[in-house]
Amino acid sequence: MLPIAFAFLILLLAVPAAEAGPLDHPGYAKAFTCSACHGFAGNSRSETMPILAGMNAAYLKKALQDYAAGKRVSPEMEPYSKMAIQLGVDDVAGYFAAQTKQPTPIAADPAAVTRGLAASQQCVICHGPAGKGDPAKNIPDLTGQPAGYLQAQMAAFKADRRSPGDEPLKAMKALMKGIADNQIADLAAYYSSLR
Amino acid sequence: MSVTRRQFLRTTGLGVAAVGALGGCATATKGDFAPKSGKRVVVIGGGWGGATAAKYVKLGDPSIDVILLEPNKQFISCPFSNLVLSGVRTLDSMTFDYSRLRGHGVRIIHEMATALEPAAHRVRVGEGTLEYDKVIVSPGVEFQYEQIDGLREAGDKVLHAWKAGPQTVELAKQLQALRDGGVVVMSVPPVAYRCPPGPYERASQIAWYIKTNKPRAKLIVLDANPNVVSKTALFRKAWEAYPGLEYRGSNKVTKVDPGARTVTTELGDTVKYDVVNVIPPQRAGTIAVEADLVGADKRWCEVNHVTYESVKHKDVHVIGDSTIGLPVPKSGNVANAMGKISAAVVVAMLNGRPVPEMPPGNTCYSWVNDREAIAVVNSYRIDNGKVVQIEQKLTPVQSRAVATNSLGWAQSIWADVIG
Repeated sequence: MLPIAFAFLILLLAVPAAEAGPLDHPGYAKAFTCSACHGFAGNSRSETMPILAGMNAAYLKKALQDYAAGKRVSPEMEPYSKMAIQLGVDDVAGYFAAQTKQPTPIAADPAAVTRGLAASQQCVICHGPAGKGDPAKNIPDLTGQPAGYLQAQMAAFKADRRSPGDEPLKAMKALMKGIADNQIADLAAYYSSLR
Repeated sequence: MSVTRRQFLRTTGLGVAAVGALGGCATATKGDFAPKSGKRVVVIGGGWGGATAAKYVKLGDPSIDVILLEPNKQFISCPFSNLVLSGVRTLDSMTFDYSRLRGHGVRIIHEMATALEPAAHRVRVGEGTLEYDKVIVSPGVEFQYEQIDGLREAGDKVLHAWKAGPQTVELAKQLQALRDGGVVVMSVPPVAYRCPPGPYERASQIAWYIKTNKPRAKLIVLDANPNVVSKTALFRKAWEAYPGLEYRGSNKVTKVDPGARTVTTELGDTVKYDVVNVIPPQRAGTIAVEADLVGADKRWCEVNHVTYESVKHKDVHVIGDSTIGLPVPKSGNVANAMGKISAAVVVAMLNGRPVPEMPPGNTCYSWVNDREAIAVVNSYRIDNGKVVQIEQKLTPVQSRAVATNSLGWAQSIWADVIG
């Protein structure tokens, strides 16, 4: 058996400092309230709240700004977004960007996933063949997000309830108008199932 | 704290050995029954605040010995328990054990902390004592039975069901046994009390149950406050669907007589009931009162808005419903936030690091029937060492979408508290 001190040394060498826990991140003190709904370190386990862990910081920052401005309408998110902005939105977004995403544990219906894959040809143009998006263009990674959240957002795009007048979203909204509600559910299931 | 140390403890088994010392179930609590070797935090009360605090101290610094004192073996959520009264949910669906907290390395003793000795840095557990470097006190509320004549003597003939558990199930049974045409009377205590919208959510649930199952029955709400305390317009709107609900503001209940099945109000009105639910006036948990943590009102504990340290005693941090003076409601969500804040503060203090400034937040859902809910959300910042509100926002209308969000909230926050 290894002496304890030696075992400790091996562990010290084996674990890089970057793997410090979520509470060690400097943004934690500004982002900790979010876990009540979005899960520990932003890894939501519920159907309705999006996973923030690993989310592109610029994308999350814009989301918080839009919620605070009422462009994305949510009585829950509006006060919290104003809070994030007052405390330091870059710190909050940076905190979640630095966390490791754990995909939703809610399993999607395999038949819906198959139908969603078949219906996804137009989505890949922007979100990529793997659904990972493009951080440079603020296009989000859809993989592993809870299906309920994805479905609600697609419905909001279709009805132009999310960030009305936002130029970069016009193509997305135009696309969603042509997609039937049951197909939206299938697409949500498909992207939710991707890893 | 670093994962390195956490993994080290796990790998070498030292963490397990440390947890095993108390076996999680102490019976021989005489003298100093768990002598302190390193830094120790004792948490009094394993509800929304205390369970969160214990878990997050351990997450923040696994080297700190964390002992949680909680007499109950199960955690039963008060939020959502009003839905047990209407049969919309079961109590089982909101009941959890403490095993996952043990998994985080928290030592749990299912005993009541009987006294707190701030000068000696010691907690009494019956005939035993526990030394601490920091104590986090989260005792919740105690009922002021003496404020209502006959209430203490009434025992379980008059239920409060304001701490989710057997009384919740019993009150649900009484409602099920109510004859059609019967009268339910419930009373709302004067502010401050646990969960400002809770009594009105309860009224909504009982009214929905009556309307659905006993349409000729009636619910009379006797409120000590002049009007609905929280989400006023939204509850008033929801109640338009309930002709059987009669709301009487400024009707403080001062007497209950289970023999005659009547309650009496401050105005002298006597109201006869078939089923009664008296939510008594409240104060901080008894241990906080006896340890002199309460203010001149002898009811609530004033704390520093950043550290949650008692303004009266050093190294004693008070969180949750027992606190007063912050512009926050006495809610589970706030207690959860205070648990995380106090944990970060205590870990920083015990490690000689600067204390972080962390404002709380509050999300509070109320179900107004079997499928629709409303919500109020409050966000805060800290200005010059004081918590101030940034914004309060209400949902514009009751909806199924809000109810769906509330389920996501419950799932997430239960995991944050006890998972």
